[in-house]
Amino acid sequence: MAALTKPKNLQDVAAPGRDGVGASPLRPDGILKVKGDFAYSSDLWHEDMLWGMALRSPHARARILSVDVSAALAQPGVYAVLTHEDIPGSKFYGLEIRDQPVLAIDEVRFHGEPIVIVAADHPETARRAIAKIVVEYDVLPSIGPVEALDPERYGYVHAPADYKAHAFGNIVHSQHIHHGDGDSAEVRALADVIVRGEYEVGMQDQAFLGPESGLAVPAEDGGIDLYIATQWLHVDRQQMCPVLGLPPEKVRLTLAGVGGAFGGREDISMQVHACLLAQHTGKPVKIVYNREESFFGHVHRHPATMVFEHGATRDGRLVFVKAEIVLDGGAYASTSPAVVGNAASLGIGPYVIPHAAVDATAVYTNNPPCGAMRGFGAVQMCFGYETQMDRLAAELGLDPVELRRMNAMEQGSVLPTGQVVDAPAPVAELLRRVKEMPLPEVENWRTADGPDVRELPGGLSNTTHGEGVVRGIGYAVGIKNVGFSEGFDDYSTARVRLEVIGGAPVALVHTAMAEVGQGGITVHAQIVRTELGVDQVTMAPADTRVGSAGSTSASRQTYMTGGAVKQAAEAVRAVVLARGRDRYGWAPAFAAGLRLAGGKALTAAGEVVADLVDLLGDEPVDETTEFRHRPTEAFDKVTGQGFGHVQYTFCAHRAVVDVDVELGLVKVIELAAAQDVGKAINPLAVVGQIHGGSTQGLGLAVMEEIIVRDGKVRNPSFTDYLIPTILDTPPMPVDVLELADAHAPYGLRGAGEAPTLSSTPAIVAAIRAATGLPLNRVPVRPEHLTGT
Amino acid sequence: MRSFTYTRPAEPAQPWTELGPDAMYIAGGTNLVDLMKCGVAAPGRLVDIGRLPLADIEVDAATDTLRIGALVPNSDLAAHPVVRERLPVLSRALLAGASPQLRNLATLGGNLMQRTRCGYFRDLAMPCNKRVPDSGCAALDGEHRGHAVLGTSSRCIATHPSDLAVALLALEARVSIDGPNGPRAEPIEAFHLPPGETPERETTLTHGELITAVEVPMTTLGAHSYYLKVRERASFAFAMCSAAVALEVREGTVRAARIALGGVATTPWRAYAAEAALIGGPPSTGAFARAGDAATEGAVPGRDNGHKVELIRRVVARALSTLAATDTPATDTPATDTPATGTPKSPGTGEAPRTGEAPGSTEGEHR
Amino acid sequence: MRETLGLTGPKKGCDLGQCGACTVLVDGRRITSCLTFALMHGGREVTTIEGLGGDPEGDLHPVQQAFVDHDAFQCGFCTPGQIMSAVALLAEGHAGDDDEIREWMSGNLCRCAAYPNIVAAITAAAGR
Repeated sequence: MAALTKPKNLQDVAAPGRDGVGASPLRPDGILKVKGDFAYSSDLWHEDMLWGMALRSPHARARILSVDVSAALAQPGVYAVLTHEDIPGSKFYGLEIRDQPVLAIDEVRFHGEPIVIVAADHPETARRAIAKIVVEYDVLPSIGPVEALDPERYGYVHAPADYKAHAFGNIVHSQHIHHGDGDSAEVRALADVIVRGEYEVGMQDQAFLGPESGLAVPAEDGGIDLYIATQWLHVDRQQMCPVLGLPPEKVRLTLAGVGGAFGGREDISMQVHACLLAQHTGKPVKIVYNREESFFGHVHRHPATMVFEHGATRDGRLVFVKAEIVLDGGAYASTSPAVVGNAASLGIGPYVIPHAAVDATAVYTNNPPCGAMRGFGAVQMCFGYETQMDRLAAELGLDPVELRRMNAMEQGSVLPTGQVVDAPAPVAELLRRVKEMPLPEVENWRTADGPDVRELPGGLSNTTHGEGVVRGIGYAVGIKNVGFSEGFDDYSTARVRLEVIGGAPVALVHTAMAEVGQGGITVHAQIVRTELGVDQVTMAPADTRVGSAGSTSASRQTYMTGGAVKQAAEAVRAVVLARGRDRYGWAPAFAAGLRLAGGKALTAAGEVVADLVDLLGDEPVDETTEFRHRPTEAFDKVTGQGFGHVQYTFCAHRAVVDVDVELGLVKVIELAAAQDVGKAINPLAVVGQIHGGSTQGLGLAVMEEIIVRDGKVRNPSFTDYLIPTILDTPPMPVDVLELADAHAPYGLRGAGEAPTLSSTPAIVAAIRAATGLPLNRVPVRPEHLTGT
Repeated sequence: MRSFTYTRPAEPAQPWTELGPDAMYIAGGTNLVDLMKCGVAAPGRLVDIGRLPLADIEVDAATDTLRIGALVPNSDLAAHPVVRERLPVLSRALLAGASPQLRNLATLGGNLMQRTRCGYFRDLAMPCNKRVPDSGCAALDGEHRGHAVLGTSSRCIATHPSDLAVALLALEARVSIDGPNGPRAEPIEAFHLPPGETPERETTLTHGELITAVEVPMTTLGAHSYYLKVRERASFAFAMCSAAVALEVREGTVRAARIALGGVATTPWRAYAAEAALIGGPPSTGAFARAGDAATEGAVPGRDNGHKVELIRRVVARALSTLAATDTPATDTPATDTPATGTPKSPGTGEAPRTGEAPGSTEGEHR
Repeated sequence: MRETLGLTGPKKGCDLGQCGACTVLVDGRRITSCLTFALMHGGREVTTIEGLGGDPEGDLHPVQQAFVDHDAFQCGFCTPGQIMSAVALLAEGHAGDDDEIREWMSGNLCRCAAYPNIVAAITAAAGR
């Protein structure tokens, strides 16, 4: 390993500050990040390293007739050209279903699917070698989500013979939820008003700024060391080992700097390719995607078509809901089954509805594979059910917020899955809070010097000085689960070591948690300071030398790895205090009542009874523990009943927009959020998460969509796939509520995803209020507003 | 990217002597490097003209002409006090384009040479007559929501991406060119070529020629000009539709008008019919709407870009009314019939002031 | 710059001038370094994030410090570009108010959307 230039963030990083749980210390990696010293996976360098690259399919669906790599192999500087035939182990991988070929075998199923990988001494050499590979295709008509439902006529994305999913046809996974009497004729008769709507959500991309990249280094023991940007080191390894034909102990992963994730790094991308090339050449291999390849190289948010029917009494009580959801899963399963589970179980929103019939299905198509993205199945649904709530309110002549509050779930409510909500569920309160926040000034663009175009739709594009501008206000609220659900054994591992270094107690925290910018390591240092009463905390790089932390997804890491760090620190404390029993003869009950703070052991009354340094002596305490949340259970296949989710999280938004209704331009004036986080372990980070999620929801509302035509991605660039700039991002006041969930560490509630849900429908509701247009599809485009 | 040799001529006189058959000039590089990276451009040799002495902005008092060197960065041109005061459309068009970093790199000449953002042009796996003559046009039946409706041909509907060129067209700028066959100059309108049968030819430049300067007459019209751009986010995005407009109004009558369009045509597009619709009449809301209608003359929308036809109407009308309302000095007598700008409605009334026609009713007219 | 000189502070977010993560200063002016060849800048002073604070082990530049203090990033990938852009913005005199900061920072994308904190950091660095 000597030849690897090991950057500072792949070494132990000191976490500065004295702040514990509930404070907002600065990030331990912050200085490195502002100095440009923080090495992302794309910044790694190894002596003699090669560059890997993939040849990708230009077609959405085609049979591969032949692959000729001879010219590429003959090119000087090329060290390896590999096809599926060169894979030593299994040729498939996948998070839930191993249906995705590492390299295409006899058929390509999506635009951008990798077919051949090359390692060369320079990226340019690799690119030229790729250009010399000749692949003959028999191009087939691609199967979209509509065709997928009629395989007899249009065919199968995966031939039935090698079908790997658990359902049938082109269906990846389905989940039905039957609650009360569903949508039976009797139930329908109870409703005075029934509102039906069809909705569509376009394909959103995570668009993290740091493209997929990593460095695979062959080791002397025949194994591989991989430095990688990912969300979950251990599940990457779990998928790679069978492909590489190596046991887990020979595939060692270390987290390199991660330039954002948002779900897009939940699946593996270049990991296994780099390792195969390193294994084959015996040399270190680095792969870095460019932006276009990044758009092809990771899964996207599932596009959804949704049909909802809501029935209510005249006075606004919801009677039933029926929802039929089809999610475009793309060519391979990825996390489609879990996304379906979320869409079904969270599909009616945070409301108490006595009768519900929900069907969610993900289909295989020849579109790009879809999987995890922040909000995971709940985002699409929230656009649907919240639009329905507005429509129902209009139909009933009720205030839309009031209608929501009347039907809001609360602690003790029964969900359509039969699960009783056993923690605070302040849905009505969050709505009240966003509604009561002061509204931004009307016509805020008027100044003494005339209109300030910067405050108007179109902004500096000079489109309006107030002409055609109409304000609208919209509300939405959403529900998201936290952690892995449906019976998954969700756990995280943490190791905490406490020792005296230079006369002071120092704690080391070692987990495999992927810090992707969420601030997990900041929080871990806070937890250790709180639990062990030390100032100096050091963060070890995340790697597979310690047990799995699970994924940095599902809003789960503060709960899960935070919980694991807390548990490990508690174990360390117990050992330390036990030493006091030996050293000072403390009675067990006395020792158990002590706490550690400021480098001392104290009684509950605050009396110092020992110095931590003395308690520790020269013998470190080193504890590793696994933390689990309460077990969940799978949803019944027929009825969808079951304790499927361990925790729920809620966020409400109020969006205020100005719309230039003539030119179709929207300016979000303000996007206010209220969210319950149970306990804000780091309030600054919580607000950052809410800002981030809200802004990604804004992107989905008004600009973000991967355009796929006949299976082909048409806008794989940041010029053609637009994400919000700083000018598109409005002031975002945040009201954080802290109602503890007694089941969770410190009472906390996962925070990262919920704001992504309600932001989109709140903004679109505001645009509807301004324009009177139905707007059943996101993103809303200018032409949807100009009616042309 | 293909390997290339690089040279930076020390002497400015004749950079084309450095140019071989397989060579291209590079200045700011914002477009060429992009195209080289995605494989659309693959020169064997780059001749860096970036340090030739073509970066001055000079006012010729005798002819009241602004002479802008081809290498003036967009940011400098936008910030130039004479441009801001006498040619506001130019400054506004520049600031409505790209990002501060790109405007620092990008040059005037390069901006006029920039190539389309058509996704098929950039996708080597797809046919494109502009990239590979006679290979076909995938956009015609493909994804063309953002494509041109004016100046199109059966071989290409790619949109010209420049904002700056649209402003220069409205200002009737002249492009100065030098090359192996000696210097020449031509109106910018003639400089950009519609695709016709040869979409691969985008300008009149022949191999070895380069733009040396652009001359902009500093007329009354230029001083009363405006640039409006509709794009899909608040900054850093290409135009869905833009308009550069200039008006000269005397005694309540439009004496001269210039209207050029961006984002909707295969070249920077001069809307003569729209200008004609204004001249001789009052600068009224009705006249501006009629000009908007006229601006769509000849539009040929495809399956998914019909919205641009209506957008042209609205953008032209809005640009004119904004200019008339915010730029009083040229208007020595106010318009007589109706106020040129609507009073903004109070928030929350929900009643949208609408110009143009009812949604959907205009679709077929201009096919 | 990244591979030969090992200056990996400027990032390849898009490599096509669409994200701003590679922003550097050339003779004090900010540019997207991905769209230009190093050869073209012979004799010019190029400042990357690594050169901003002067001494690599020394104090932070005031803009760097402000970004740390205001938590103006999450993943940090766009941060070197954001900071270089902000340094140029201050020199250009474009920090008059929040709207002006937003206008002149709009060439730097941040997917984590730390935008409110970026505005706060630049405002603080501007001494307002």
